[in-house]
Amino acid sequence: MKLTFINYVAREINCKIVYYGPGLGGKTTNLQYIYQITSPENKGKMISLATETERTLFFDFLPLDLGSIQGFRARFHLYTVPGQVFYDASRKLILKGVDGVVLVADSQEERLDASIESVSNLNQNLNEQGFDLNKIPYVLQLNKRDLPNTIPVEELKRQLLFKGEPVFEAIATKGTGVLDTLKAIARQVLVELRKSA
Amino acid sequence: MNPRSLDLHNPEHVRIKAILTKILKELRAELVLLINHSGQTIAHAGLAEDIDLVALASLAAANVAATEGLARLLGENEFSIVFHQGKQRSLHISDLSKRFSLVLVLSGTVSLGLARWKVKLATAMLDEVFQDYEKGLKRENTVPAKGQSRAAFSRRFSDEELNKLLGD
Repeated sequence: MKLTFINYVAREINCKIVYYGPGLGGKTTNLQYIYQITSPENKGKMISLATETERTLFFDFLPLDLGSIQGFRARFHLYTVPGQVFYDASRKLILKGVDGVVLVADSQEERLDASIESVSNLNQNLNEQGFDLNKIPYVLQLNKRDLPNTIPVEELKRQLLFKGEPVFEAIATKGTGVLDTLKAIARQVLVELRKSA
Repeated sequence: MNPRSLDLHNPEHVRIKAILTKILKELRAELVLLINHSGQTIAHAGLAEDIDLVALASLAAANVAATEGLARLLGENEFSIVFHQGKQRSLHISDLSKRFSLVLVLSGTVSLGLARWKVKLATAMLDEVFQDYEKGLKRENTVPAKGQSRAAFSRRFSDEELNKLLGD
């Protein structure tokens, strides 16, 4: 199901990317880093609908302009979902019209179950929105690699890989792996767009 | 055709823009936006320099999605209209064929009844545009329109161009 919106009049390609994953895994931090390092002319206002304690309540939103391809501006709308388990109804809503998903997993041992549950929850919620995780552009980010109690990458891959998707190690607070993740999902989305011709 | 997608070409844009401009004038609205359910603006009419259109479209789509979720929770098929009344400005959001939403930024003095009536008329006209678009797409599947179709765009889209865009 292709939802990428091509505006031939404004010469724009518009894509929606959703950062999914367990609570406190670093989804918002990914967007904040992208916002910080992007020049003002290539980004819009970042919106965060968060609780008083800065936990995501509904979503974060960052519009980003990646540049031109064939004279068309490639505009990406980046969203996060609330990671906490009880916000499942909101997570489903954010997946509407999605073009690609980044799963931000928490590498810490005590958060492994939450990351596994998040992949399963993503698969289920995508199905409910008429998408198939096997077919949709998808990237796995293993975040918080700098913390002392992380699980080895190979073990995390064994537990979390869904379909042989690209995997990136990240330390989102320092920006490590954040742009590689973004580029990988943007590439997949644009390649999908080409395939749909 | 995927019924939820719409690639905007000039003929549809001209017609959509005319409809949006008409309702803008009739309701003396500040802004009228046609958005899709992903929160992307398809077309708009009016000017409000202090309003970020990208943010407005994204939040309006989220509002529509949340309202849809609330309707289902209460056993309703839909709440077809969302209306937020402010002191200076009001926001009127209505569903369009379950695919799009019409977003109006109105001055505080406009009557809700008039707004609903004009939105109903505009919705019917926009539906007609979408139906014509779908008919056109069916024709395009047999005789491609030169230089206008998604296929024409994508054929020229090389790996080198993609690498350049992504800085690889």
